[in-house]
Amino acid sequence: MLKIKNLHAGVDDKEILKGLDLSIKPGEMHAVMGRNGSGKSTLSNVITGKDGYTITKGDIQYNNESIIDWAPEKRALAGIFMSFQYPVIMPGVNNTYFLKAALNTKRKHSGKKELDAAEFLKIVKNKLNELDMDTSYLQRAVNEGFSGGEKKRNEILQMLTLEPELVIMDETDSGLDIDALKIIANGVNKFRDPERSFLVITHYQRLLRYIEPDVVHVLIDGKIVRSGDKELASELEEKGYQWLE
Amino acid sequence: MARIMMPNYLQTEFDKILDREYFSKEVHPLRKKAYDNLLRKGLPNKKCEDWRFTDLSAIRAGDFRISEIGDGPKKDIRVSDHGLESLDTIVIYNGHFQKNISSVPEGITLLSNIDYMKNNGWSVEQPEMTSFDLLNSAFMDSGVSLVIKEKTNIEVPLRILFICSGNDNIMITPRIHLDLGESSSLTLVEQHEGNCDEYFYNGSMIVNIEDDASLDHVRIQNNSKKTINMCNLHVQQNSRSNYSFSQFAFGGILGRINLNANLIGEGVNCSLNGLSLSNDKQHSDAHVITNHHAAHCTSSQNFKSILKDRSSGVFNGRSIVHEGAEKTDSSQSNNNLLLSQDALMNSNPQLEIYTDDVKCSHGSTTGALESDALFYVQSRGIDETSARELLVRGFASEIIDMIRDNEIRDHVIGHFDTWLNGNDQ
Repeated sequence: MLKIKNLHAGVDDKEILKGLDLSIKPGEMHAVMGRNGSGKSTLSNVITGKDGYTITKGDIQYNNESIIDWAPEKRALAGIFMSFQYPVIMPGVNNTYFLKAALNTKRKHSGKKELDAAEFLKIVKNKLNELDMDTSYLQRAVNEGFSGGEKKRNEILQMLTLEPELVIMDETDSGLDIDALKIIANGVNKFRDPERSFLVITHYQRLLRYIEPDVVHVLIDGKIVRSGDKELASELEEKGYQWLE
Repeated sequence: MARIMMPNYLQTEFDKILDREYFSKEVHPLRKKAYDNLLRKGLPNKKCEDWRFTDLSAIRAGDFRISEIGDGPKKDIRVSDHGLESLDTIVIYNGHFQKNISSVPEGITLLSNIDYMKNNGWSVEQPEMTSFDLLNSAFMDSGVSLVIKEKTNIEVPLRILFICSGNDNIMITPRIHLDLGESSSLTLVEQHEGNCDEYFYNGSMIVNIEDDASLDHVRIQNNSKKTINMCNLHVQQNSRSNYSFSQFAFGGILGRINLNANLIGEGVNCSLNGLSLSNDKQHSDAHVITNHHAAHCTSSQNFKSILKDRSSGVFNGRSIVHEGAEKTDSSQSNNNLLLSQDALMNSNPQLEIYTDDVKCSHGSTTGALESDALFYVQSRGIDETSARELLVRGFASEIIDMIRDNEIRDHVIGHFDTWLNGNDQ
């Protein structure tokens, strides 16, 4: 589903990813672990198409197509979704309105009928229940006045509603208490599917206790230096990152 | 004192207005006094602190004349052409009150300004008088006075519709008095429309809100792109009264509001809001002063501008907490969105506090749409153009959503959409 080959990317003249290779098959859950500054955020941003990064070498392929020249919305419509580390606050933009606009854009793109308000509400209310969110979320402006945990839950609500094929979770566990972490993990686990892949980017092993990865990668200085099964995450937790440098 | 020469046309036009047979001579002393004061004070120029960013040369150079009988409507006008059909409407066309198509709801007494001023001892002084207030007193040529007695709730909003039309350089100087009696309430819509050429509107509105009364005031300024719209608004609030003002300024080449709210009774709520949308070379200026004279009052100023092309704007807000106004809760906010690199905003929120035990805050931001927010929206599948639209709409909605009446709010949203999509030519 996702193939990253020898990717070199950076900001301005500074190279951050220095020949990164990563391949994710349908149904797989991969975790990329690394310290601050190892290139984790750059990786998620170049996959989703954020402005400001230059790719100097290598390629990112999604379903066998190179996507590095695609606009962010084209990637999203093709099925890529990122749960943001820092979800953006949008004053005045109603949460329901935003989510409905996003869902209908996607439905229209895939030739489905757009949903009216009642149909949309029915779908989204089920998802709210799963995440233990109450319906007042829908009336609020996107992420405005949300606590850290509420923002992350709202990201997962968007994920469940938009039903992407490839989910990138960028530091989803940061700022979450243990209850919120369990709710989110539960939502993600139920969302796992043989046709759907996950890339969980994280600093700590914490989230991986609740979401079991098939493959764990260690990112150091812009390169994946080690890959293994979920035991690698425990090993990192114990030993830190030094022994791999 | 910085001043400019008075425009040449003013003296000619002033003589003309004194000669008007159909204007009462009883007002002459008042006119003359205001005109003399105006001559002494002069019209401001950019050296005056309060006018630094607003160029008045169009008023100085424009060869304006006062509105004549012949400037009245040449054919029937339909109020329904201007939306908001379920409202009661007072129509003022090129400065002429259109009695035959105006309707005033029960509970409101409509007086001529002459009668009103006669009843009130010809007192026209306001705590803050600019040159444009004096100009209005000297030249007042139309308008109405509205008196609502105590304990009267006017359910249907009342609109004052100002229509300007024609190709002549007309100066109109309407004046509205509004007295809201104890425990009464009203929603007032002030709507400015028209397709005229050069046109100079210098209107004054003087509002008194008695104890426990409540006024919702929505001002929609949608004049043609050649119009000068000068608004002088004075509001006096007595104990426990509520005043909520929101201006939506889309029109005019030059628009300026001089808004003075004087909170003289305790426990008052005063909420002053504005959204200004500009493009081309429009200039929109909001000069807003809230004077806290009494204790336990709450006030807010929340003004926003969205600027395209080479347009420019000013927000100059002052919240003054005078001695004795303890427990004042006052907030001030000015946020501006620049959609073009050539747009310019001048923002100056100010607090002046002369008493202890108050809660005051103020803030101001000016900038382009944030790229992080754009990316966030795009990452959910929404294209860049729609993402921008969504964010701009969100920015504006904070002010638009303050309109409680659905019909009025929808009307304003209609204008907003037209502006956003660039079809407002």
